[in-house]
Amino acid sequence: MDLTRGQRAKIADLVPGGQQLALGVAAEGPGLVIDFACFGLDAQGKLSDERYMTFFNQPQTPCGGVRLETPPGDAAGFAIDLGKLPASIDRLTLTAALDGAGTMSQLSRGHVRFLGPGGEVGRFAFTGGDFASERALMLLEIYRKDGIWRTCALGQGFNGGLDALVRHFGGTVAEPTPAPTPEPPKPQAPPVNLSKITLEKRGNTVSLQKKGSQAHGEILINLNWAMRSAPVKRGLFGGTRSGGIDLDIGCLFELKDGTKSVVQALGNTFGNFWGPPYIMLDADDRTGTRTEGENLRINGKHWDEIKRVLVFAFIYEGTPNWGEANAVIRLKMPEQPEIEVRLDSPDSRNPMCAIALLENDGGAIRVTKLVDYYRAHPDVDKAYGWGLQWVRGSK
Amino acid sequence: MAINLGKGGNVNLSKEAPNLENVLVGLGWDARATDGQDFDLDASLFMVKEDGKVPGDTHFIFYNQKTSPDGAVEHTGDNLTGEGEGDDEAIHVTLSKVPPEIQRLVIVVTIHDAEARKQSFGQVSNAFVRIVNRDNNQEVVRFDLSEDYSTETAMIFGEIYRHSGDWKFKAVGQGYAGGLRALALQHGVNVG
Repeated sequence: MDLTRGQRAKIADLVPGGQQLALGVAAEGPGLVIDFACFGLDAQGKLSDERYMTFFNQPQTPCGGVRLETPPGDAAGFAIDLGKLPASIDRLTLTAALDGAGTMSQLSRGHVRFLGPGGEVGRFAFTGGDFASERALMLLEIYRKDGIWRTCALGQGFNGGLDALVRHFGGTVAEPTPAPTPEPPKPQAPPVNLSKITLEKRGNTVSLQKKGSQAHGEILINLNWAMRSAPVKRGLFGGTRSGGIDLDIGCLFELKDGTKSVVQALGNTFGNFWGPPYIMLDADDRTGTRTEGENLRINGKHWDEIKRVLVFAFIYEGTPNWGEANAVIRLKMPEQPEIEVRLDSPDSRNPMCAIALLENDGGAIRVTKLVDYYRAHPDVDKAYGWGLQWVRGSK
Repeated sequence: MAINLGKGGNVNLSKEAPNLENVLVGLGWDARATDGQDFDLDASLFMVKEDGKVPGDTHFIFYNQKTSPDGAVEHTGDNLTGEGEGDDEAIHVTLSKVPPEIQRLVIVVTIHDAEARKQSFGQVSNAFVRIVNRDNNQEVVRFDLSEDYSTETAMIFGEIYRHSGDWKFKAVGQGYAGGLRALALQHGVNVG
């Protein structure tokens, strides 16, 4: 089914059962950088629960009804299970917003497509000619009407960009730092910071003291690596194996209440920033085009509930050549010097590296550099006594 | 308590509102919340005979011809943007003044300049038509169209028609391409 702007259809007429589907989205134009998001809105069309905004910094809703998952060939996408959405969510609006200069009239092409079990079942195509000065668009919505899920190709937007979009959904765009953030927070460029601490030697420990009784802010663990020139596709149909390395960041965590698990892209266990485990992974960098690398964020407000976090990196695809990958882990916290760990050990046999251990030391965060290389997850688990059960996963 | 009709449904106005005489046909839709050209929606009414055609061009009531020669139908004016609460456009009908040869009053809404503005009803939210008894301000019947349109540029929202001596209202919700011009031609208006 080809949808044109304004067209409506029942989801059940697109995918069998009308519950589980995937959306693939792409939009491109010369020099345009576009971020996609899926807003889960209430009956009034408002984002009454910000956890239902799904985007690269919050890759799934608490219910799991919307997950960031990019179908092969699209720029972004969402796996949707309408049956999992709470009754309070009546509408999913897929949006595109420009990051940087330009307007949507400069789009050379774009589409939103519906995917069912057998592949594409519907497509809404658009071009820059459909728009004028808009900088943020509501591309398509899936909404509940009289108990039936339907869709409408919207193709309308706002000149004011993401801010105007968020306001349309009833959100407030706070100055200067919204929290929780309606706008995708971007890791800041590393400041020229003379107080940067580089943990050179293995076993070095630094303790980040709490300031007074205040909780910690956001702890950002950033992984970046040099070999990102050749985008690597992967997955069942993305068989292209170029010479690039795909590096993933993740962590094992243990909460004070005894909960233990893992946060990583593999198996789509992206975590949760606002609820337990208070650790979340950015959307997986599948294209290699994101210059900021991958981020693991820990909600420092809840550090008291966290016992320990073991940060690791592993080479998902490509030769395990750490020397060439030239990976750097940066650990940033508000009002604390940045900590930098370079993965420069010439160990080319093992694709897994335990990088650093963050431990709750009477409320302070004690960071220990590890940089130990392992064959696989269970070996790391065993080495640090985590005690999880491991099964093979895929993205 | 007003009756909510679904597409295709009808109600006997004479039974629901005995002695109904002064009717307000209220039409509404939400203003465009997004940027871009406003949606300019126009309500019109065709007074047609048994054969579905107007007796003459003067029985096509629209923004440039606001009253019928018999005084039975009066368009209260054009709202250019859809802003404001309640009805965006209203048409007054005095049922006793409708000439006997007129069988149906066809209520339509069209998007002005839809093609050039690349607009369609699918982009318009919460459109409705309602019939109000002006003598007591009671709403008799309402039809919410929002799921009954898509990429059309002209819609027949509903019609008031004679049936065995009574007046009835039918929720039509039928869309057409081609805007007001196509609908006018279909109802026998000589469009210049």
